Amino acid sequence: MDHRLYFIAGDLISNISVGSLIALSAALLIGTGWNMFIAMVVMMALGMILGLLLSLALGILFGAMEIMVPVMLTGMFSGMFSGMWLAMTDVAPLQLVYLGAVTGFAVTCIIWLVNTHLRGISSSELN
Amino acid sequence: MVDLVTQDKWNKAAASIDLMTGNGEQKRWFPFKSRLFGHMQPGRILFASLGTGLDIPAFPPGMTITAIDISPEMLRRAQPRIDNYQGEMKAELVDIHEMPYPDGHFDQVFTSCTFCSVPEPVAALNALNRVLKPGGRLYMFEHTGSRYFPFKSMLDVMTILARKIGPELNRSTVDNVKAAGFKVTEVNNLFLDIVKTIKAVKPLN
Repeated sequence: MDHRLYFIAGDLISNISVGSLIALSAALLIGTGWNMFIAMVVMMALGMILGLLLSLALGILFGAMEIMVPVMLTGMFSGMFSGMWLAMTDVAPLQLVYLGAVTGFAVTCIIWLVNTHLRGISSSELN
Repeated sequence: MVDLVTQDKWNKAAASIDLMTGNGEQKRWFPFKSRLFGHMQPGRILFASLGTGLDIPAFPPGMTITAIDISPEMLRRAQPRIDNYQGEMKAELVDIHEMPYPDGHFDQVFTSCTFCSVPEPVAALNALNRVLKPGGRLYMFEHTGSRYFPFKSMLDVMTILARKIGPELNRSTVDNVKAAGFKVTEVNNLFLDIVKTIKAVKPLN
């Protein structure tokens, strides 16, 4: 993650908006009565693919790899959670937006923590 | 003989590369690239691969640089940036696997997002090793595969799609540098263990 405001905001906005969009779009496909496991797997795969496609556009503004990896993860988790929830019960669109936004925020924070751990000089890769 | 399949792929990519990587990507990494390219010193410098020349503004002025690329379309688009460089730069249409330069010709070699793109990375690094003089230094800005789950799996899957139109996302570039006979002196991870700078030296013997 970058410490410049433009990129901190860009990373957050990208993940929160993609998470919400994918959770909302799950309602178009998944309904109560779906097997919860199948709903989870289907939306996990679709969420990743949608995340990848959306990251291509967002990457133009905020950087390719640094957007693509977190946004695909956000898509995957947002799809999984919303798919399972929709298979269990009726969910209001605003609740799906919240779920996706929280997922996007959480993924951004987790990537930030992992990146803080991994970035910097790596002595384990030297000859 | 130039690899025509690779040349065709990058000729096609040339039209969109400034849009895809010339805005956010370039803004994000420009300070890190400037720092890496700040290691350029007087002498013969090889830069592979030039692309559309997006990295040229990060070069220090006054250097003598030979920049190569396999794609004539990339070099055509790079020409205005080459013309604006405050130093001596010549761009040549060269396949990195078959460079026409003598052994030990260059004092330093720089690369930028090159080894996600060349078809045979170890062979290409061997070629760089050949044209670099003994004790000469290699400086790389590259994105590579990851060693960690789930990033490794994601990049493996994405490579199946990405390699058709652009780069491979799961290369083990640090290992490839070692396999080509360089001594790796520094690996600096910039984003996870995916985007990184690599410094290496060609041993004296």
